[in-house]
Amino acid sequence: MRRTDGELILFWTLPVLAFIWVSAFLLFPAFIHPMSPSMTAAQVADFYRDPAHLSRIRYSMILFNWFGVGLIPMLMLLVMQVRRMAHRTPILSYCLLGCTAGGPTVFLIADLFWLLAAFQPGRGPQLTLMFNDLAWMTFTAVVPFLIGQSLVIALAIYLDRPDRPVFRRWVAHFNVVVAAALVPAAFTGLALSGPMAWNGLLPFWVKNIAIGAWIVVMSVALGRNIYRQRAEDSDQRVAEEAAV
Amino acid sequence: MSETTAEPGTPPGAPAGSRLSRTAWHWRNNPKRELWFAWYTTVVFYNIFFIVFFPVTHAQPPPHPWWSDAQVAYWFNHNHDGLIIGFAIIFAVAAMTAPQNALIAYSMRRMSVSRAFGYSYLVMYSLSAVPGMLLLCVVLSVGAMRPGRDPAQLHWLYDFAFLSFTGTMGIFLLGSLVWMLAILLDKNRVMPKWFGYLNLCNALTEVVVAPAWIFHRGVLDWNGLISWWINVAVFGIYTGAFITLLRTMILREDFGDGPLPDLKKNHQAKASTLAGTPR
Repeated sequence: MRRTDGELILFWTLPVLAFIWVSAFLLFPAFIHPMSPSMTAAQVADFYRDPAHLSRIRYSMILFNWFGVGLIPMLMLLVMQVRRMAHRTPILSYCLLGCTAGGPTVFLIADLFWLLAAFQPGRGPQLTLMFNDLAWMTFTAVVPFLIGQSLVIALAIYLDRPDRPVFRRWVAHFNVVVAAALVPAAFTGLALSGPMAWNGLLPFWVKNIAIGAWIVVMSVALGRNIYRQRAEDSDQRVAEEAAV
Repeated sequence: MSETTAEPGTPPGAPAGSRLSRTAWHWRNNPKRELWFAWYTTVVFYNIFFIVFFPVTHAQPPPHPWWSDAQVAYWFNHNHDGLIIGFAIIFAVAAMTAPQNALIAYSMRRMSVSRAFGYSYLVMYSLSAVPGMLLLCVVLSVGAMRPGRDPAQLHWLYDFAFLSFTGTMGIFLLGSLVWMLAILLDKNRVMPKWFGYLNLCNALTEVVVAPAWIFHRGVLDWNGLISWWINVAVFGIYTGAFITLLRTMILREDFGDGPLPDLKKNHQAKASTLAGTPR
């Protein structure tokens, strides 16, 4: 019997977290119909002052504040997979570790700005507008760590042993595509309306769908790896015991 | 990855064809390809960083902390395109700092000291990018993106940006001291001892920058002679030194755990230890 190492527990927290993330996403009124950056200060202030919105903004952002960092255990499981790869040095797992800290930190800063805007909705509309801008810009444009972690995972897979790879090649290609899909979001400051605005096609829909798809696809690939590696380890143990 | 074949640290068997074919060969066969990836990424990042922060956004050298609301508003307006485009580039590439931090952590792993040193540095510097660089980029982008914002608010964003950038000190202070201590304790000769002391100089620049939180004018304000110009000079020398020394470390690397061989000895020993063993 294999000793419990807890990796499966960490892995199966993901569906629970995903449910909470999706719920919080749908609860936040500014995500379902993403707020336009061309709204005036008065319109933004009214949005936060609307009693139907205010509680939902607060509760959804509290949920994100609690559970947003829950992605880190999954990213650490990915670091463990990179460590199993046939690399000469731990450089790529160090790179991945470095990127994983950044993403949730940036998201928490955006979360704080949204909660600040909602804390005193009665203050001057210009101030609410500024906190709202800070939240949306942080959330939308600060994607470097997500791009970095996808590219590091892709590179790690490309440099892995081709005959017995930890992840299949398509996982690397998929990560490159996701990284490319995130790049336009970095440029969202260029436009207050249209497809490049923070509520537009590329910085909102393409980026967030790419992040969602990345979590789902990488979870499945990760889960299959963890179960396969467990089966291989126990086969090996049986063979060793039979040899004795 | 395109390390030239003339280098003393080049593995045997590298072809002498075009630059492209040599790069391809190294990509597939060079046992140090992960280290070279991290090193080249570091060099490329510093080039992008310099171009964006100096000529494109004019965020460096920083403008004056004693400007009036109207002057700050004019500065945002005047630099609008540079700020938006420059920081967008940083948002896309800022994770290039991760390979640099990884390579520096690796240098400590190669030393005779505890792994705790490399991990401490890795975590500190991974965090440093957020308050020490990205907050400035977000806040100045917000200031620039929306025309007609109240100048008093622009001034608050301006202070926020430059104080978070200049005034994020502890991570770099303690990070440099961690690297310094590792180098001074190391018996594997990974980095020269003088560079250990240069780390101390870099750490001290983070001490003399603290008055930028207090002074609005003079040599100690955030673009003053001491808090900015001397700091930047030390940081420039320090960065140039460690980029060169990390390159030498990679050339000397023998993937053992004893003292790192000198460049010449390593070249001779390489034929027997590394030939044809990319992994």
